[in-house]
Amino acid sequence: MGKLRFLLALWLGKLSIPALKITRHNGTDFPGSLAVRVCPDFLKYVGKPPVMVAVTGTNGKTTVSNMLVDILEAEGHHVLSNRAGSNITSGVSTAFIRNCDLLGRVKRCDMAVLEIDERSAPKIYPYVRPNYILITNLFRDSIMRNAHPGYIADILSRNLPRESKLILNADDLISCGVAEENDRCYFGIGRMPGDVTDCVNLLNDMRICPRCAGKLRYDYRRYHHIGHAVCESCGFHSPEADYLAEQVDLQARTMVVREKNGVQHPYDLITDSLFNIYNMMAVIAALRQLGLSHDTIRQRFAGTKILESRLSEESIGGVNVIMQMSKDKNALACSRNFDYIRSKPGRKELLVMMNCMGVSKNWSENPSWMYDTDFEFLNHDDIVQLVCAGPRARDYKLRLLLAGIPEEKIFLEDDEFKALDKLYLTPGDDVYILYGVDGTPLAFRVKARLKELLLAKGGQAQ
Amino acid sequence: MRAEILFPEVCNLYGDLQNVYYLQRCCPSLEIVETDLKSKPRFPEEDVTLVFMGSTTEQGLKLAADALRPYREAIAEKVDAGQLFLATGNALDILGDAIDSDAAERIDGLGLLPTRAEYHMMQRHNSFFVGKFEDMDIVGFKSLFGHSHGMGDALFDTVKGVGRDGTPQSGEGFRRGGLMATYLIGPLLILNPPLCKWLLRQMGADDTLAFEEAAMDSYRKRLSEFMEPGRSWKY
Repeated sequence: MGKLRFLLALWLGKLSIPALKITRHNGTDFPGSLAVRVCPDFLKYVGKPPVMVAVTGTNGKTTVSNMLVDILEAEGHHVLSNRAGSNITSGVSTAFIRNCDLLGRVKRCDMAVLEIDERSAPKIYPYVRPNYILITNLFRDSIMRNAHPGYIADILSRNLPRESKLILNADDLISCGVAEENDRCYFGIGRMPGDVTDCVNLLNDMRICPRCAGKLRYDYRRYHHIGHAVCESCGFHSPEADYLAEQVDLQARTMVVREKNGVQHPYDLITDSLFNIYNMMAVIAALRQLGLSHDTIRQRFAGTKILESRLSEESIGGVNVIMQMSKDKNALACSRNFDYIRSKPGRKELLVMMNCMGVSKNWSENPSWMYDTDFEFLNHDDIVQLVCAGPRARDYKLRLLLAGIPEEKIFLEDDEFKALDKLYLTPGDDVYILYGVDGTPLAFRVKARLKELLLAKGGQAQ
Repeated sequence: MRAEILFPEVCNLYGDLQNVYYLQRCCPSLEIVETDLKSKPRFPEEDVTLVFMGSTTEQGLKLAADALRPYREAIAEKVDAGQLFLATGNALDILGDAIDSDAAERIDGLGLLPTRAEYHMMQRHNSFFVGKFEDMDIVGFKSLFGHSHGMGDALFDTVKGVGRDGTPQSGEGFRRGGLMATYLIGPLLILNPPLCKWLLRQMGADDTLAFEEAAMDSYRKRLSEFMEPGRSWKY
């Protein structure tokens, strides 16, 4: 009965694909959503490739998954992935439907790279049992959905398949504590010149030892709880990385990766942001586990880019317009972005519009996350103006004032398009548009309007 | 004047600690002392104007309850005598009788509040709240794994949203002497300038707020938004 129901679900799912194409709804999760409604354990029966990698974690999982797929496909693998859909059960199911035949057998694909939402673990891992599960990191995320990182770590520990090998961030003691009985390897970044020992962030979620609740001392700390910690009471400490980035040079954009045998392998950085270097290290660790050589990985990275919707820039009329996704409700992601922005040279004007548009009409966004976020990083001489816009503009203004930012730098405008009129748009300035996940379409419309304004002023796009 | 933050290494979720830091911005002479899990709380024996305990993890609930248990009687005496003590989010549950969870063993609370919490770890409750406290409108948010079922004076009357037991009929939080415990999370005092002013007066401080105009502007906007008829309190 189960198999029959599965086939019915599969066929309905497959039939829906051309129907969606005709109605121009291609790319949605509907096929998987329909299949799971008909057959709740659809994922149990559908065929899987021989090698599967799951990517999960709070931040970076889309970036890491996309890089993995790009590199593996460039190496000639046929990779089943859910990059076109969501990272929950319906999106994963859709990816399988698109890549199996009418009997549910996997077609062509010899590998799968699946981005999997942490909270979907109980619904996916009973049926999809990856050879490798990569956890990028565990930080605070949406208060409403994810509560706190310990809660997510607990969900993962309860649901990850025992046989999956974990690829973990050695510098993140929260994810290191997941499913402690599973085989594992670690990636990390060694001590860097800018590291500190005391936490300079508001979020600091690993202050006590997971074994004895004693105080943790950090030999070095990169940001938040990311670093190398030792328990002063019982001696517990962060694990040593199997793949360790050393000699990271952000200016020259180079690093070396040292494996446990001591051999060092040079790499060019594809980014100058620390959190994306962690993403690179996660990819290197996963690809090494899959048997790729460092030479191959290094060459393939040369053709890899960070997803443009998250960070892109365009010079228009002497003004550098930078689209920077800063996930609303995600204090860590915003803090990292603010730290990055302040580290960049030159004058900056900021349009602060990380509003959760999805709830702005019917509910009301909880601004608590703003008080976990290091807005203090934006209190910087180079940041000459901050225009707060959208439904939570007043909350942003108050938070910026509390961060010590002079009131004369802060501007308020409810309407995101009218907010553009308040920007100085001084030639030579970097203008950052900071937007949240579901505010992406709006942010790009705002950017298009900004481009019109700048071009009308006589500028040219480059 | 002194505020004591209990167990900031674990009771620090959702920006709750900013309540105390905001009080200090309003009243710069306020000294803040932080007491960790391995240290003896100061307020049972020393002069502390306000004790604060914020939201925590499920592991933190047990650690905090265990750390406070030796001082249970002293805490009861102090709050009954008017010691100001503000607990936000699930810190309320540390002060109740017990926490029952569908995913973990029961945690015994301090029994200072006659109530029992029940957690369902895969069913998170998210809502906004409008309430009344004396003549003030209170706004806030809840993000919880459960509610509390018990007796005792409520801290806020519920106008829109749910009270402490998860129903619109119940009051929100508990009040016992100087103890104020609410399930509302986050920067409650920043979101509620009138309440913050009231608390500053209770503490014997001047009630001028830091960035009062911006705080009131934000508060008025939120209150009017919450009260819009088409706006549902439940996420």
